[in-house]
Amino acid sequence: MFNAIVSADTLRTTLDSVSVLVDECKIHLNEDGIEIRAVDPANVGMVDLSLSAEAFESYETDGGLIGVNLSRLEDIAGMAGSDQLVHLELDEETRKLHIQIDGLEYTLALIDPDSIRQEPDLPDLDLPANVVIEGRDIDRAVKAADMVSDHIALGVDDADELFYVDAEGDTDDVHFELDREDLIDLTPGNARSLFSLDYLKDMNKAIPKDAEVSMELGEEFPVKMHFDIAEGQGKVTFMLAPRIQSD
Amino acid sequence: MGNASLRDLAVIEEVSFDEVSNSVVAVDAHNWLYRYLTTTVKWTSDHKYTTADGTEVANLVGVVQGLPKFFEHDITPIFVFDGAVTELKEDEIEERRERREKDESRLEDARERGDSVEVARLESRTQRLTQTIVDTTRDLLDLLDVPVVDAPAEGEGQAAYMARQGDVDYVGTEDYDALLLGAPLTLRQLTSKGNPELMDFEATLDHHGITWEQLVDAAILMGTDFNPGVDGIGPKTAITEIKEHGDLWAVLEARGEHVEQADRIRSLFLDPAVTDEYSFDTDLDPDLDAARRFVVDEWEVDAGEVERGFERIEDSLVQTGLDRWT
Repeated sequence: MFNAIVSADTLRTTLDSVSVLVDECKIHLNEDGIEIRAVDPANVGMVDLSLSAEAFESYETDGGLIGVNLSRLEDIAGMAGSDQLVHLELDEETRKLHIQIDGLEYTLALIDPDSIRQEPDLPDLDLPANVVIEGRDIDRAVKAADMVSDHIALGVDDADELFYVDAEGDTDDVHFELDREDLIDLTPGNARSLFSLDYLKDMNKAIPKDAEVSMELGEEFPVKMHFDIAEGQGKVTFMLAPRIQSD
Repeated sequence: MGNASLRDLAVIEEVSFDEVSNSVVAVDAHNWLYRYLTTTVKWTSDHKYTTADGTEVANLVGVVQGLPKFFEHDITPIFVFDGAVTELKEDEIEERRERREKDESRLEDARERGDSVEVARLESRTQRLTQTIVDTTRDLLDLLDVPVVDAPAEGEGQAAYMARQGDVDYVGTEDYDALLLGAPLTLRQLTSKGNPELMDFEATLDHHGITWEQLVDAAILMGTDFNPGVDGIGPKTAITEIKEHGDLWAVLEARGEHVEQADRIRSLFLDPAVTDEYSFDTDLDPDLDAARRFVVDEWEVDAGEVERGFERIEDSLVQTGLDRWT
């Protein structure tokens, strides 16, 4: 049994954070909220998301697991105005999700969860540096790097206590740095890793500009980015595997 | 090439690349190159891979276009070549030439003797690929740090042996003979668009309720690269007959038929010449600049034909996966 009402805004933000990486996902319906964990087919980018029952206007379930086509569900959520409510109800018999937005009713055929790519194990990482930064600063860094390169280096200078971004193109370079003053918080430690901008651009799309993003970094290690959605009632962690210099 | 009717006996299922990623595949190099040359590169106009002096090196285009598929799915290919070359590098080319000449004269002899099994073996080894194709492929794989293993005889037999030893996860070949050679799991269609096929040896034996020997016997009745097969015996009849009579000779006796050198053909599948003298490093560190120079400058291949492939190799090899940290 699953029966919930949620604001279109919260639903869209939730779906967006997952759909930047995968087309289909499993959603765990737990008594205290929903959980989604997914990794892209190349195993490079991962999302780990939880949205607590408090983020919903109403939420009732006795547990369960459903598989959804994300773009289909996003299209439906897109039919609602941002302050409208979306009513979700699972029909266990037919394995369909009944979605109601005011007078609009949509019956979404669910996907067999077993047919969806297995959920990834969480990498066990102990990363030395931590940067707390505004979503809009990540957006600036990614946009600037994208002008010159396909890759972006994220690093922390332990001695000078600053966070920096480097992108090197064929002819032009971008360097961007933020010190303690510009950041919300900084735990210095030596860190520098190179990432694919394709992935980071997609993740950036799902990070709200006003979010406080806690970014954990290491030396040629994956980056973890944690931020809240739904006014703190939802938590998202993105993980992205680095590119490693081959020479 | 193997008898395509073996497909009717084999347990084969389509798998996704996800299911076979993070694995090591022993690729039958001659089969792979041959398939690549006949199916893919033939659609490229030949001036793009012909040097000024008229040497065709379409194989280089094939290698550069074919490898990314492995790397992008975290599959490490080990190319297993026919014949043996294990001496020091400077002696290698000379030795390969000598070996080829030797194979050719052995082929002549075999023809004169009327030894059809030997003719079939040697023809498949000497005539499918030119020596330039084999040599330049090996040189390019070397620059790309892709492991190469030299089989004492047929590469496919060696690849199957390595898989039976558990040193690789799969054999990669289009040839159904991999089944007769006892390759536990064979991946087909690694060069095609779409998903590969997985051919399962144990499941095949279980499905028919027969032994490895009986499978090989059935194949000999149907016809192999080394014998034409018995008239009127297709896959179904072969299995029924083998199960009824027990083995090849009993079937032949019951039907009053004869297969030349049946014993020898049988042992080519059940006990092929293989070696334990191989080792490989699956952590690849390709020199892409040197590989580009080799293909484009040295062998005059049109840069446009290979650039996309090189870029894909570069991307796939330096991008790590998160599973590395789990």
